[in-house]
Amino acid sequence: MSRSITLGQYYPGKSLIHRLNPRAKILSLVMVLILLFSLHTYEALLAQLAVALLLIWNTRVPFRYFLRGLRPILYIALFAIIIYFFFTSGGVVLLRIGFITVESHGVQQGIFIILRLITLVLFSLLLTLTTTPLALTHGIGYFLKPLRYVGLPTEEIAMIMAIALRFIPTLMEESQRLMRAQVSRGADFETGSIFRRAKSLVPLIVPLFVSAFRRADDLALAMEARGYQVGAVRTRMYEDTIMPLDWTVLLVVIAMVAVAWILGL
Amino acid sequence: MFIGTDRLTHTYMPGTPYAKKALDNVSFEIKQGGFALVIGRSGSGKSTLIQHLNGLLKPTSGRVFFDGHDLGQKGNELLKIRRKIGLVFQMPEELFFSETIFDEIAFAPRNLGLEETEVQTRVIEALEEVGMEAEQFIDRHPFQLSAGQKRMVALAAVLSLRPEVLILDEPTAGLDHSGQKILFKLLASLNKKKNMTFIICTHHLDQVAALADQVLVLQEGRLVMDGFPQKIFGRRSQLIKMGLSPPVTAEIMADLAERGLDVRSDIFNLEDARAEINRLRRHRVK
Repeated sequence: MSRSITLGQYYPGKSLIHRLNPRAKILSLVMVLILLFSLHTYEALLAQLAVALLLIWNTRVPFRYFLRGLRPILYIALFAIIIYFFFTSGGVVLLRIGFITVESHGVQQGIFIILRLITLVLFSLLLTLTTTPLALTHGIGYFLKPLRYVGLPTEEIAMIMAIALRFIPTLMEESQRLMRAQVSRGADFETGSIFRRAKSLVPLIVPLFVSAFRRADDLALAMEARGYQVGAVRTRMYEDTIMPLDWTVLLVVIAMVAVAWILGL
Repeated sequence: MFIGTDRLTHTYMPGTPYAKKALDNVSFEIKQGGFALVIGRSGSGKSTLIQHLNGLLKPTSGRVFFDGHDLGQKGNELLKIRRKIGLVFQMPEELFFSETIFDEIAFAPRNLGLEETEVQTRVIEALEEVGMEAEQFIDRHPFQLSAGQKRMVALAAVLSLRPEVLILDEPTAGLDHSGQKILFKLLASLNKKKNMTFIICTHHLDQVAALADQVLVLQEGRLVMDGFPQKIFGRRSQLIKMGLSPPVTAEIMADLAERGLDVRSDIFNLEDARAEINRLRRHRVK
């Protein structure tokens, strides 16, 4: 067992956002993301960032979890800075290094893009940190449903996603168990050349595959024993109903988008 | 002090909402040549404890010692010491990855960096130790064996390290009655002939109880009992309250006592139980 077992990023809690229906959360996120992409004034963007921070505060999820989620975009941000600061012209010249100039328009746009990116990721993290992976899959499965009419087996796709998510932590735990067990037989996974290290993974990968296939076999049998059929419509033990709270949140998001659109922000 | 712990505490995933104290201030000692049982419900910290004894997990606080060394320390020193403590995981045959039984058992000694001739000696020795004819088995595929044979090969794969201490986690899981019997007979002989120290985690006490000379009881990460088997299994009601099942023989004796028969309450193995029941029967005939 280790840190990595917390699949996805779910942080348990009871806040307003935690309690929202995943479908409402996904729909709200999509709308907010579209809004973020269409914004072009600093005021509107800062307002969105403020909303994101307010909601983050509301979830009671420690902020360092959000910071960790922001880490991957660091390089994109760096890239944006270089492109915009050095290669966009217009406005006042702020800095001159040889033939390269940094001009105010570029700086403005660069910061705008980065802020937009940060806000975007923060909103996405608001979804993934407050929703269990399983609830998230069910939510996504719901929105995939219309694709059934163009011949996509959406129920099965949702089932595959749910099973995959369910087994990631299991397999991780398994691989850690196997790793420890082989280490106690003197295996060494950490030292040596890349080739040696790759070869040293055989005692880990073979048993892992064997057990994964056995599990898959067991699961298929268990599912069939309980009447699972490809193509049949599944009902669920816990139906997630849309509550008045979800409608309220959706309406607020729609109002926000409408205001931004009317004001031409 | 041979092997044991001193105020050992272990917390999984500290500093996260999933933090869990798996071991809490556990101190005990097992003598060289001892045969200790670690019992407790699932989740009581047995697995965490034995992984510390082998140096696989590092204590959050406290110490793990073996033969005068502190296993919590880092470095090559630890690696050398660790080899003297063999750990047989639950369902050890799930670790098989080689194409022949020879390679499977040779894995550990090869990892020690031994000469191939020495490796071969050890593989054959280990196979003989678990009562399998080396010639007949070394070239076969491990997956062709029966469940009982697989378990024996898995055991040989650890014995090839020539450990001084052997730790086994649920060694009989998935074995039938005769397989269990053979396994315990083997462990008993290794314990007696080679003075190998044993630490065994198990839920099934019936056959192994008679071999033990020390029993440790874990409950929610704390060591709640530690002593001679007679003493521990005598506290039947306490064990039951903790959700543990005492050996069947102890249950039968308690049942007889409850029906008003004058039987000893400290019996937990088949031989003693048989002797005691025979004594009672003779008594009655008179």
